[in-house]
Amino acid sequence: MVAVKAYELRNKNKAELLKVLDEQKQELASLRVQKVAGGSASKLHQIGLARKNIARTLTVINQTQREQLRLFYQKKKYIPLDLRVKKTRAMRRALTPFERKLKTEKQKKKENHFPLRKYAVKA
Amino acid sequence: AAAAKKAALKGVHGKSVRKVRTSTHFHLPKTLRLSRKPKYARKSVPHLPRMDQYRVVRNPLNSETAMKKIEEHNTLTFIVDVKANKHQIKDAVKRLYDVEALKVNTLIRPDGKKKAYVRLTADVDALDVANKV
Repeated sequence: MVAVKAYELRNKNKAELLKVLDEQKQELASLRVQKVAGGSASKLHQIGLARKNIARTLTVINQTQREQLRLFYQKKKYIPLDLRVKKTRAMRRALTPFERKLKTEKQKKKENHFPLRKYAVKA
Repeated sequence: AAAAKKAALKGVHGKSVRKVRTSTHFHLPKTLRLSRKPKYARKSVPHLPRMDQYRVVRNPLNSETAMKKIEEHNTLTFIVDVKANKHQIKDAVKRLYDVEALKVNTLIRPDGKKKAYVRLTADVDALDVANKV
């Protein structure tokens, strides 16, 4: 059984990827049948490979899908929740850098009129 | 003009008609119900079907009692996912083996797996299907 390679899969389009996924699942099903009917050790080894192939195909499918969606939503205002930044709940609700920077007029005037002076004492 | 002056003095709440209530019970009034118009999809892409036919049917059984069932009662026995129900099993068997099921009986084995007895229609032979797989 051939190990499916991810970089080869990335060139395919969605329909072909789903077909590959289906074939891999069928292979896995037939291997499971052989396991019950007393398969050889090599056949049992293939089961692990088949599962990883399925995982690889699904990874490629989902990765390319999400990548395309991120491109699609790049300029939009509202994006789906699972494409948003995850970080932590508290960090998402924290003040933005702009909001932290804001000062009152009073404070601005104070800072303007009474800046921190640097001076030296003559020895 | 006189009416305007009167309204200005009294306030504009002068006339109010009392609603006629024909029953002593108060029922929920019918209000406006808007349909949803989401500004964005909550999930970016809906998931592939989680319980597809490969997930439902795991493997066929080939114990002695299972073989008896194939020959005598025209039924196949499968080990099936625990979360599968009879409709899903019937559908999955149809997709995988191209056979119609008359009925499906399920039980959960003591080791936690689900066993399904799938009785096939009379025009199909269970032995042929079993050998094909």
